[in-house]
Amino acid sequence: MSSIEIDRVSKRFGPVEVISELSLRIESGEFIAFLGASGCGKTTLLRMIAGLETINSGEIRIGGERVDHLPPGARGVAMVFQHYALYPHMTIYDNMAFGLRNIGAARPLIDQRVQQAAKILEIEPLLARKPGQLSGGQRQRVAIGRALVKDPKAFLFDEPLSNLDAALRVRTRVELARLHQQTRATTIFVTHDQVEAMTLAGRIVVMNNRKIEQIGTPMEIYGRPASEFVARFVGSPAMNFLPVSVAGQGGRALLALASGAQLQTNIALEDLPSGEPMRLGIRAEAIRLDSEGSLPGKVEVVERLGDRTHLHVRLADDSTLIAEDVGHSRAAPGDSVNLRIDPDQAHLFDAQGRGYRAAAEARS
Amino acid sequence: MAHAQKIVGRRAGDRVILGAVIFLAFLWVVPVLWVLILSFKANSELMLSTGSAFRLPYTLKNYADILASSGVFRWFFNSVVVASLNTLATLILASLAGYGFARTEFPFKNVIFVLVLLGLAIPEQAVIIARHQMFTDWKMHNTYLALILPGLSNAFGVFLMTQYFRSIPMDIDEAAMLDNASRFKIFWRVLLPLTIPAQATLGIFTFLACWNDYLWPLISATKPEMFTLTVGIASTQTNFAQSEGLGFLMAQAVFAGLPVFIVYLFFQRYIIQAVAGAAIR
Repeated sequence: MSSIEIDRVSKRFGPVEVISELSLRIESGEFIAFLGASGCGKTTLLRMIAGLETINSGEIRIGGERVDHLPPGARGVAMVFQHYALYPHMTIYDNMAFGLRNIGAARPLIDQRVQQAAKILEIEPLLARKPGQLSGGQRQRVAIGRALVKDPKAFLFDEPLSNLDAALRVRTRVELARLHQQTRATTIFVTHDQVEAMTLAGRIVVMNNRKIEQIGTPMEIYGRPASEFVARFVGSPAMNFLPVSVAGQGGRALLALASGAQLQTNIALEDLPSGEPMRLGIRAEAIRLDSEGSLPGKVEVVERLGDRTHLHVRLADDSTLIAEDVGHSRAAPGDSVNLRIDPDQAHLFDAQGRGYRAAAEARS
Repeated sequence: MAHAQKIVGRRAGDRVILGAVIFLAFLWVVPVLWVLILSFKANSELMLSTGSAFRLPYTLKNYADILASSGVFRWFFNSVVVASLNTLATLILASLAGYGFARTEFPFKNVIFVLVLLGLAIPEQAVIIARHQMFTDWKMHNTYLALILPGLSNAFGVFLMTQYFRSIPMDIDEAAMLDNASRFKIFWRVLLPLTIPAQATLGIFTFLACWNDYLWPLISATKPEMFTLTVGIASTQTNFAQSEGLGFLMAQAVFAGLPVFIVYLFFQRYIIQAVAGAAIR
């Protein structure tokens, strides 16, 4: 397995620059996810690594070797496509063997690799069938198997689970995680589904508007979003945002909410831009019902999820936020409640969407 | 209750459609059966009344007369050669052109494609004098090449294959590229097999058109040994064939149509697939 380096890569489609001076290093054996909404450039980036799109400037290296001038087949990567892209007229065995035959691999080696991959993916009984005779989940396994037999330097997955139904998606996700643990293969996984990215990847690259917003482990991305976009995009339900005015107290930001409530945070005042309107970002699990809480409101909607309950609460200033309560919450629509915000989990975002948070040591 | 009504309504609708289909099939098959029956009747009997068609005796004499005609096997052979080679060459050219238009980039591609499509709007009759003159200049009349070459500029074939190649997802090409396949291998081993339904459709249409073609072979082939079956059979008909040789005429029609019928039987599965549009998905 090999590392992948993307060094100041740019890509234009006609006059439109879709990737600009992007740099990224993916370590050997790493499972990394490119996460972002449609059109953010994540699939284009993956296709440039695969060689299916040319680059206009910069360098791409796989295993230390520059590959951006090589055709896709010579880069030593294998890709699993969103719509599987199996060859409909070939048997599953031939689909998996096609790539090896093209590089002139010996027949016993081809057979051994195909059988081995089929065993790992539990598709041995399907080898004589054609793709049209398989279910969506089986086709996805074959697509993965086709990548596996090539023993590539890196696996590239382009939204491979998006065509599966919800239950199968969860199962395949677990299988992919298990497969990566077995093979320790360098893997890039493109998805717009934050749950897939969070559960599978060792690191996530969050992309927005053709730029990298943040790179980090799932918990870094979730717990310390670098921007309002990341904070909104990752996490379900989405983070709550409330306009606040910032005052100083002991060098830490004291936030005044529009409803009149105040929140003392550990965010260093000196880190914040002065004179800019700021927004408080707070996740639902950091807002609890508390009769002593300083934020009064009225429950509008109760969403019961079994292990927890989400309460949509309208505040005195007419803004709404989502708070989390226990599974057997006694709150009902129309109830007047008091909320308490955990100041250690408060995020501040400036007018440009840049995120600020208390340093870890400041909270301890 | 409403659900049951809906099912009953649908069944009634199905019956109406089925009835209409049977009626149309009947309209189509009656003349075919009429031709077939008359071909087994003696000309002398039919001269008196075609009403005798449904009465014994029946005879194979008309078919024997066709086979006894000195040139018929030669004409049959010519038709097979011309129609087969024309079909084969058309499939090769239309596939290559279709792949080119659908999958490659080259200067003025769209303009050239429109020019090809314009070819659909030009009837053969409009160019036949110029074509005749051209083949005369080349001294190519009364050759297989002269009978085959004009049919190769098949605008419909190029259009059909282009559209079919376009309908194949690009992912398939890209997967093959990542599988180290060359451009030719992607065309030959991956994409071309996926176009078999379209090839079959185009093949049948081309073969039929070529087999039934009368005008150009009539003009280009002036020597009896270069006649195709259509021209050859027509040349044996007397001036009074419609009245005095009706059975023989019908036998000729059956004899000329039989190979086409066999070809259709062989390829009909692909035609249905192509029309249903369910070939590769």
